[in-house]
Amino acid sequence: MARDADVAVPPGKAVAAETRFIPSRRHRRFSFAPYGLIFPVAAAMVVILGYPIYKLVRISFERYGLFELIQHQGHWIGIDNYRSVLGDHVFWDTVVRTIVFTIVNVGLSIVLGTLIALLLPRISAWVRVLLMTGLVLVWAMPVVVAVQVFYWMTNFENGVLNYLAAELHLVGPSHDWYATPTSSLAMVTLLIVWGALPFIVISVYAGLAQVPHELVEAARVDGAGPLRIFRDVTFPVLKPILLILTSLSIIWDFGVFAQPYLLIGASHIDSTNYLMGVYVFIKGYADHNFGLGATISLLMLLMVAAMSVVYVRQMVKAGNTR
Amino acid sequence: MKARIIGAALLVAVLAVAATTASGATKRSTASITVWLQVDAQSGWPGAVAAANAAFQKQHPGVTVNVQYQTWPTHLGKFDATLAGGNTPDVIEMGNTEMTKYMAAGAFQDLTSAKASFDNSSNWLAGLAASGRYNGKLYGVPYYAGSRVVTYRTDQYKAAGIKSTPKSLGQFTADAAKLSKKYGKKGYSPVYIAGTDWYVAMGFVYDYGGKIATQVSGKWKGLLESPKAIAGLTAYKNFYAAASKASKTTDENRPTPYSVYADGNAGSIVGPGWFTCCVGDKYKGSTAQFVMPSHTAGQAMPGFLGGSDLAVPIGANKQLAADWIAAFTSTTSEKAFQAAGNIPNATNLLNTSKVGERAALRSWFVPAAKNWVNVENGNILRTMLSQILTGKLSVKQAAATADNNIEYTLNAS
Repeated sequence: MARDADVAVPPGKAVAAETRFIPSRRHRRFSFAPYGLIFPVAAAMVVILGYPIYKLVRISFERYGLFELIQHQGHWIGIDNYRSVLGDHVFWDTVVRTIVFTIVNVGLSIVLGTLIALLLPRISAWVRVLLMTGLVLVWAMPVVVAVQVFYWMTNFENGVLNYLAAELHLVGPSHDWYATPTSSLAMVTLLIVWGALPFIVISVYAGLAQVPHELVEAARVDGAGPLRIFRDVTFPVLKPILLILTSLSIIWDFGVFAQPYLLIGASHIDSTNYLMGVYVFIKGYADHNFGLGATISLLMLLMVAAMSVVYVRQMVKAGNTR
Repeated sequence: MKARIIGAALLVAVLAVAATTASGATKRSTASITVWLQVDAQSGWPGAVAAANAAFQKQHPGVTVNVQYQTWPTHLGKFDATLAGGNTPDVIEMGNTEMTKYMAAGAFQDLTSAKASFDNSSNWLAGLAASGRYNGKLYGVPYYAGSRVVTYRTDQYKAAGIKSTPKSLGQFTADAAKLSKKYGKKGYSPVYIAGTDWYVAMGFVYDYGGKIATQVSGKWKGLLESPKAIAGLTAYKNFYAAASKASKTTDENRPTPYSVYADGNAGSIVGPGWFTCCVGDKYKGSTAQFVMPSHTAGQAMPGFLGGSDLAVPIGANKQLAADWIAAFTSTTSEKAFQAAGNIPNATNLLNTSKVGERAALRSWFVPAAKNWVNVENGNILRTMLSQILTGKLSVKQAAATADNNIEYTLNAS
């Protein structure tokens, strides 16, 4: 405010001048540099993201098959693609199946991840190091490699899972883990939850460090059990992190492709075990109907956005009333 | 400050230039050609590939041949990406069931003018040559045809008391029971057939006089519900129960039958003739082949007349590609494919003393529909077989569902 002394102000208006910041000409200078430095990044993002998104929306209104791919030119057909997708019962079956799949996967990942993270402070240091190393190794394993190893483990003829189950007399000599859609998707769930745990555990473990130790002690002294302590002290502090992790997990698990497609196998994928990610690939690429694939892609985007909005609003609302 | 602004502006300009420089079709180099063959050639007849490359390089010194091996499930997706990107291979091996869709879409160059340069082109096998023709023009050169035969362990058959190879399906079922009795340990199949191996299963359908689909006044109609087809599917179900301990829902690539054979877990396997390449060193000496018998004694069960064509995609170097194809389908080369257990591409090269060619005397092929590839990709037949074998649906119900799906797919525009 001392700088305002440069501006000639009538004495009576001195008080008013103090409460109002008048930027003086000397210190107000429009600088191009910030915009100039940001511009390359913005331009790169517009090109890398904007152009493909524009093309995606455009193709969803076109008939774009193998013929059009070779010609590099689509044929405008308006909302016909949307009409045919929304009228297809396979689409709706797949949406329902994927929603159930997402709920199961996200639920299991978050719950198991949080439980393991809660375990970490309570174990001795060397066990913690072992566990963290194991988790990091899981995180580092490429998806395709993990799928191949998991497939060998669940193999019908000579997988270790069948061997153990047979030795424990749980199933007959050989069990086909991919015989029914539910069983196949359960195997995919195991694989996805296994791969998702490291990120969740490490994030929640970091968040646990913010739980005020004195509050936990005070609650314990007051006679609160561990469940009560978690609900009233730990969980509110973890809420922001869990919110982020859940939103991310929903987005990832709703559109997951590599694990189901590779584990179930291209020869075994059909309309009874489609997930949205696989459905888009089959309709768009395998059947060479890129217009339909683009349409389903956009509808998926809308659905995930809707799910995230609903969830975020709920969490924020709940946070405000507490 | 001024320097920073100028620096930023330069960066923007460089990025703008980089962004607008499209990776358009670069001029094709004439110093090398790219050839896409399937892994079948890599394991089955690598010598023929090397010989063709040598012959080509004698004709075109200084031009290197870059052979890239593809797998059946992934090669079409990769081909689509090259079509979109403009960097197509110069020669590509296509399955004969895959040709129609791509010819109709204009993916290949016209080879009609080069036809005379291919050996035996006036004697090409009718079925194979038809798959490479569209609107009267030649787009695909017949490469080889394959039929299905039974590869078996001569030592095991002898030890189980099977005096001669079966001449009827009933006899084969009885022989499978004998093998089971002698060797029936965990995981052993007298005749290993993957549950959803539709190439084998449809042979049963055609054996009983059934068909997959037919065109009636321009629209495709599924025929798997017809009584003859149902009889065939039921025969398959019964034979499978006696013969194969494979997973009822898996396909013939996970695992491959020859790897099960090489592990000692199969008395016989049904598949292409070239399976003998990979039966493992332990059993190479005790392996032979016979024709899959029909339910009618003395006849062969119709075998799937699979085959491949060689095509030249658009954007490729047509002259060099055509010359390479000519070298690879030369009479010497075709004789090498024949020695590996395949059927050569021309009638004057046939030799019916070979088991594969005897099997091909009775054959079947998929409906000649533009969208047939979508039926294969949608696993409609595989799902039907899985439902039948696991008992989830009765044969009639599974066939009816499959017919609906086939009609929907083949009649889509």
